[in-house]
Amino acid sequence: MKPIDKTAPSQTGALTFEFELPHAPHKVWRALTEPALLNEWLLPITGFKLELDTAFTFKTQAFPGWDGTVKCQVLEVEPLKKLSYAWVVGEMILNTVVTFTLTPTQTGTRLVLVQSGFKPDQKQNFGGARYGWNLMGGRLIELLGRTT
Amino acid sequence: MRSAAAEDLIFHALADPSRRAIFESLVRGELAVKDLTARFDISQPAVSQHLATLRNAGLVSGRSEGRCIYYRVEPKGLKPLADWLSHYRAFWTDRLGRLDALLEKLEDP
Repeated sequence: MKPIDKTAPSQTGALTFEFELPHAPHKVWRALTEPALLNEWLLPITGFKLELDTAFTFKTQAFPGWDGTVKCQVLEVEPLKKLSYAWVVGEMILNTVVTFTLTPTQTGTRLVLVQSGFKPDQKQNFGGARYGWNLMGGRLIELLGRTT
Repeated sequence: MRSAAAEDLIFHALADPSRRAIFESLVRGELAVKDLTARFDISQPAVSQHLATLRNAGLVSGRSEGRCIYYRVEPKGLKPLADWLSHYRAFWTDRLGRLDALLEKLEDP
């Protein structure tokens, strides 16, 4: 069951993965919400509680200018269906949102993972600012393509 | 591998709506300061200041021709952003593989 990268070519601000799992949603939900299991497959986790607004952290590799602590906050909980949290690297470096969505299927669960917000400063993302950034859409991906 | 300072500069430079608009205009092609001043309702010193910030972040470069400076987008300037996307693309592919393996051995209560 390989995860399929469903990121649309025009979508520069988000990564999307879709995953068909031969397991019931309640089992997948456990893996997404029990710290002992998250430690095992995702990253070492501290302070997690399945409650809205709970702040918690993941620990990953540090690099110059960052100690490797991913600061998270629970944004949305719909038991067995949806879990969303902020995923923040440093203060200004990266401010994204990770969302897991579970849908029961005949054979198990369809898991969709979206990490969104690969763009500057969401806090200022009102009105014209958002429009300005979206306007770049296609051109931006062209540029990103040329950078590798 | 990555420099946090470089990303700070990019995010700061593109967080401002006017600078983002200027950057977007340059994505479409090279322009002189006077072209940008005519296009936006911003004074020439303000446009020059925005361009300096963009240049400092490595997002644009300028070349002199006569009395004009022409600015263009520096495609490599967005590399830190592209790096983050490819970093997390690889990260999640790996972690979802581990999730799959974990679910395989996880007993149903």
